[in-house]
Amino acid sequence: MLLIALLACPLLAAVLAAPRSLDRAAVERAGVALAGSAFLLSLVVATRVAGGGVVSVGPEEFLRADGLSAVLALIVTGTGLVALGFEAAAGTAAATPEAEGAHFRRYHALAELFLFTMLLAVTVNNVGVMWVAVEATTIITAFLVGLRRSRAALEASWKYILIGSVGIALAFLGTVLAYFNFVQRVGVTPFALHWTVLSRVAGALDPDVTRLAFVFLLVGYGTKAGLAPMHTWLPDAHSEAPAPISAMMSGCLLPVALYAILRFKVVVDACVGAAFTDRMLILIAVLSVLVAALLLVRQASYKRMLAYSSVEHMGLMCLGSGLGPLGVTASLLHAVTHAAGKSMAFLLSGAVRERYGTSRIGSVRGLLRAMPWTGALFAASVLALLGLPPSGVFVSEILLVRAGFRAGRPWVTAAVLVLLVGIFIAVLGHLNRMLYGDPPEHLRARDHPQRLLPLALNVAVLIVLGFGIPGPLMRLLGTAAGIVAP
Amino acid sequence: MAPDLFSRLVTLASSLVLLSGIAVLWRHSLEAYIRAFARQSFLFVVTIVLVAAQTGDARLYLVAALVFLMKVVLIPNVLQRVQRHVGADLEIHPYVNTPASLVITGALTLLSYAVASPVTTLGSVPTRGGIPLALATVFVGLFILVSRKSALSQIIGFLVLENGIALLAVLATFGVPLIVELGVFLDVLLGVLVMQVFVYRIRETFDTLDVDRLKKLRH
Repeated sequence: MLLIALLACPLLAAVLAAPRSLDRAAVERAGVALAGSAFLLSLVVATRVAGGGVVSVGPEEFLRADGLSAVLALIVTGTGLVALGFEAAAGTAAATPEAEGAHFRRYHALAELFLFTMLLAVTVNNVGVMWVAVEATTIITAFLVGLRRSRAALEASWKYILIGSVGIALAFLGTVLAYFNFVQRVGVTPFALHWTVLSRVAGALDPDVTRLAFVFLLVGYGTKAGLAPMHTWLPDAHSEAPAPISAMMSGCLLPVALYAILRFKVVVDACVGAAFTDRMLILIAVLSVLVAALLLVRQASYKRMLAYSSVEHMGLMCLGSGLGPLGVTASLLHAVTHAAGKSMAFLLSGAVRERYGTSRIGSVRGLLRAMPWTGALFAASVLALLGLPPSGVFVSEILLVRAGFRAGRPWVTAAVLVLLVGIFIAVLGHLNRMLYGDPPEHLRARDHPQRLLPLALNVAVLIVLGFGIPGPLMRLLGTAAGIVAP
Repeated sequence: MAPDLFSRLVTLASSLVLLSGIAVLWRHSLEAYIRAFARQSFLFVVTIVLVAAQTGDARLYLVAALVFLMKVVLIPNVLQRVQRHVGADLEIHPYVNTPASLVITGALTLLSYAVASPVTTLGSVPTRGGIPLALATVFVGLFILVSRKSALSQIIGFLVLENGIALLAVLATFGVPLIVELGVFLDVLLGVLVMQVFVYRIRETFDTLDVDRLKKLRH
């Protein structure tokens, strides 16, 4: 029941966007209230499963949440709450002018459906339905990316839907191969595509077909996770989408795709041993961080800068996933801290863009004087994302490095560290150019600190995790990591 | 039907599916692309009916009917309307010319036999002869997608790829569970409808369907 209630929240909010009798403010208030309930419900789920339990409903556990699902559900609902709250707090002088007027209802309904599909993907037991949910996110967000209707937005959404659809089609090919493998070795059973069933019989599967299936799954879901070399759609889509959507796409959609890979990693590892998947994950991770570093050095747009930073951080999460139990713990913690930092940075970048009317780094001057609160928080979120202590990202990155050395991968870890230093220097340079100097003449210093209130959740997460991981969270992360890498 | 005859018929049907995918590569008009896709989908339906008749699985008839409705009737009609509406009919300068395309297709087919070898050795199903051909269809679809410039051709490439995967699912496992199958149908249909909306918008905004013009966003 708990899971049904959780999934019902965003659905109900999407339905509430339809009736004309509700005005914009009412729709937004309802959206925030329901997003808040969804967040609380996932906290309840998290406490139930933190010790290794499972919450499930339906025949053969159709909906099923374990520790891993709970971490992702927390990330999705938390990011959704902040993004919707930020938009509601911005009021009619919205941070997203393109979401005005008649478009608003459609926009809001799609955003809620987006949240619903992500939640479904992480709580459904059947990997086929999980695929359907992830594919649905592509279709929904393609509309949201193209909302602005400018040439750039159109180009971004075309690339996004095409590359996303092909990637996800390849993931389906992998799913079919896994199912074929199962049917050949075990026989036809009604619940063969359930993850619980698949992982239970994994030992009996054919190793060669399992490896082949994983390659397709990694390329397919890796495309959605923004991992190099399939990342090319990401900077376009994330920089052209309205800020709250960018926040959700970066903060939670990317980790949801990685979640799908991790679910299959469990099955594949039980069949052929962890070395195979670990090697592939590490390879693709290092490539992602490298590509991100190279493209961050010469970056002219701050929204694209944030997007490439997502490629970097997905690379780090992917790296952790291939480094054994401690690595997976670090990776999941990193997913939490990155979601907090990146959603905050994207939301604030929307406010900056609204004010300056451009997303070029070179055209934004004197941010700290023109928008003291927004500028300071933007700087704080970017610095946090760079891993500056005391922020949660610093802690998760340190944990990741420790996992790297402990897993016997000192060279890979050192190489990634060097790249991180390079990224640090490059992004700090871009940030400095934006923060200082004289703001353009026509911009008077004006800021609305009360609008930034919803970001308190992000700030709290980043600061608290910067000083140490609270016991209950550590227990949850440990349980989740135990599922991926026993 | 004798098992031997059945598996030969299935292999024949699968090769025809692959061939109608390759047909796209030597044609130049978008109209012909759409017809080739409709033909391919029809051959796919025939394959499903063959498998259904052999296994006696009533569910597969339902799947065949749905595929027919969606991929032989509905989607080709939608695409034809788009094509007439935007008035473009030629894929003028593909990135790769016809002879080179056909050579590459041959290489891709060989590659898919190599990739599919663990699958065919494991499989005891009488339909396994068609599996490499289905995989080749996937690769050909991918190749159409990256080598052709018109937004409509790219949609065709995606659909050919999708047909390849669906064919693989039917041949290898006699169809994935129905709930997943239905979800996949819904997603493909919605995906194509969304893509067609974007084709209109691209045409409106850029005055062409040539995606080569879409290069404002770099790095």
